[in-house]
Amino acid sequence: MNALHFECPIEDFPGFRADAVLGDTVFEAIIEPRDARRLRTALVEIARVATANKVRRVILVLEEPMMTESRLHTEWQGIAAVLRPELFIKLSMAIRQSGKWTGIPFPPAPAEFEVLDEILRHELSRRPVGAGRSVEAHHEILRILIHQWLLDKGPIAVNSLMEISGTSHPTVARALERFDHYLKRHSDRSVELRIFPREDWARLLAVSDEVRGTVRFVDRSGQARSPESLLRRLRQLQRQDIAVGGVLGAKHFCPALDLVGNPRLDLSIHCGRKPADLSFVERLDPGLERTIRRDESPSLVIHALRRAESLFQPGEDGLPWADPVECLLDLHEARLESQALEFLNSFPATKGRPL
Amino acid sequence: MSQDANVKLISPSAVLKQVAAAIPADFRQNIIIIGSLAAGYHFFGDNSELQVRTKDVDCLLAPRIQAIPAGQAVADRLFAENWQLRAEGDWAKPGSAATPVGDLPVVRLHPPGTTEWFIELLTVPESESDLDRKDIRLVTSQGHFSLCSFGFLSLAEFQPIPTPFGIATARPETMALSNLLHHPTIRPERMSGLIAGRSIKRSNKDLGRVLAMARLAEAKEEDTLLKWPVVWAAALQPRFPNTWRKLVPQVGMGLRQLLRPEHEADLEEAHHTCANGLMVSQSPTLKLLQVTGERLIQDAIEPLEQMAKA
Repeated sequence: MNALHFECPIEDFPGFRADAVLGDTVFEAIIEPRDARRLRTALVEIARVATANKVRRVILVLEEPMMTESRLHTEWQGIAAVLRPELFIKLSMAIRQSGKWTGIPFPPAPAEFEVLDEILRHELSRRPVGAGRSVEAHHEILRILIHQWLLDKGPIAVNSLMEISGTSHPTVARALERFDHYLKRHSDRSVELRIFPREDWARLLAVSDEVRGTVRFVDRSGQARSPESLLRRLRQLQRQDIAVGGVLGAKHFCPALDLVGNPRLDLSIHCGRKPADLSFVERLDPGLERTIRRDESPSLVIHALRRAESLFQPGEDGLPWADPVECLLDLHEARLESQALEFLNSFPATKGRPL
Repeated sequence: MSQDANVKLISPSAVLKQVAAAIPADFRQNIIIIGSLAAGYHFFGDNSELQVRTKDVDCLLAPRIQAIPAGQAVADRLFAENWQLRAEGDWAKPGSAATPVGDLPVVRLHPPGTTEWFIELLTVPESESDLDRKDIRLVTSQGHFSLCSFGFLSLAEFQPIPTPFGIATARPETMALSNLLHHPTIRPERMSGLIAGRSIKRSNKDLGRVLAMARLAEAKEEDTLLKWPVVWAAALQPRFPNTWRKLVPQVGMGLRQLLRPEHEADLEEAHHTCANGLMVSQSPTLKLLQVTGERLIQDAIEPLEQMAKA
């Protein structure tokens, strides 16, 4: 089976790096394209790539295009009129709108959804928070509010929300508007959650992979290193931008948590506005390989944190802990639902108000 | 190239016990078993179900100053107990005082009643500059033999592990280091015999042994490879006081070459050797062997290289 490679150089195109390559298929991705000119440029670009001998297909992957379907078809017809047929036949567009896949001239096959989702996940993980996707900023602010609430820290000033999230005042204001029914607003322009925001939390869980740029690694050697072994090696790297979450992190905040064993290591990497650099994974174990398959049990799962402040907690051995909200998301992501609930109920804010 | 058919599965602890029993008690302290039998005993000597496929039991006579008297006593005792010279072409008969030392056969003896395996007597080099094969004359009751030393055998003398039988086995770490240093490149020379029906480059066999030992060490204790560079440095420094820093860059060269994609065929030969030798009872996949090599480089070789630079 061919592996999916990201940001690949293409033979005969010096300086060009395709967003992703799978075998002889090249992918270019655009998030929320807003104008026809951007789309047209991308179509010309993929047509150029299609001239390479070894390339059989080139797919332009669009996430939430801000154009009508008929406009997309018009642009497609426009490019068809100027390209040689033998070149044009190599091209297609895969479009994800509200989580559903369509395409021009035909929709992608269901077997391709996983790969296409992974490409968009990767592309989204490279983007800083606030870069176009207001929905991501909402989720970021939601996580900060829950963090504040879980740790019983009281109200938080809007300015602090802006600083921690790295977003603008209008973005924070829009997010607060959205969560208004969960909020208690104070006269000094600070806010706090009144209750746990169940519905928005459920929405966040549904898109958590995309929002957090989650990347999974599986052992290909057949003799996987334990999470503790991976952790020992991570400690040697002395990275302050990587924090331990998941089961280990949850146990740090709640030692009584009913969890025996630790099947995987969850890490949060604070990459801010830069793309997450995952090259350190090879230092943890050269036997780890990235996977996009959800039916494989990962040994290592990495989540990108793109807000301005990490909210990491210093660890005793130099390795920080991810904040409890990230740990909670990790437990859900690992399908440890009862432990996630137990973890949530262990915080002061939920005392006497089990969720 | 026909010895292959005779290579049987043997139990490391049973063979070690038999060898020790045949050696005069006074000289057992001078015997260090090296090679796959030593590694097999170390990693699964306590499990009678796990065996190794090997035909030679390499006995290192150490220290060097005791090698000749120990070699004579051991050989004579084995002859007296009816151990038989291994029939091997021109090397099947002992030499005489007139035979040039370079033409003398090595002591290779089968135990009575079986030709499944044989012991071979070796010794450690005299100095750190003695890296090529050196033969010294060993005069026994049956004639003249060669006691040879070569390469980095002296490393196996570092803190050998005692056995309940009175003889010792070399540490897997030092055997691995010796093999790594011995093969800074993959040389084209092939083993004289077949390994499970195939002709194998000696470098691939020896580097494959390194990978097998690293894998078995990890299986026994996770993260144990992180301790190897400390043992390696401690073994190298006293034995190669003037040259150890120069030797260190050589440690990883052959293995790195073996793991390169263009040497896939060599890695496959190394895998074949492991799967039909030390790891015959727990055959690894090719991928596992490759990853083990990469883990060994990260955990042991790179830290050793950093130590040498410090």
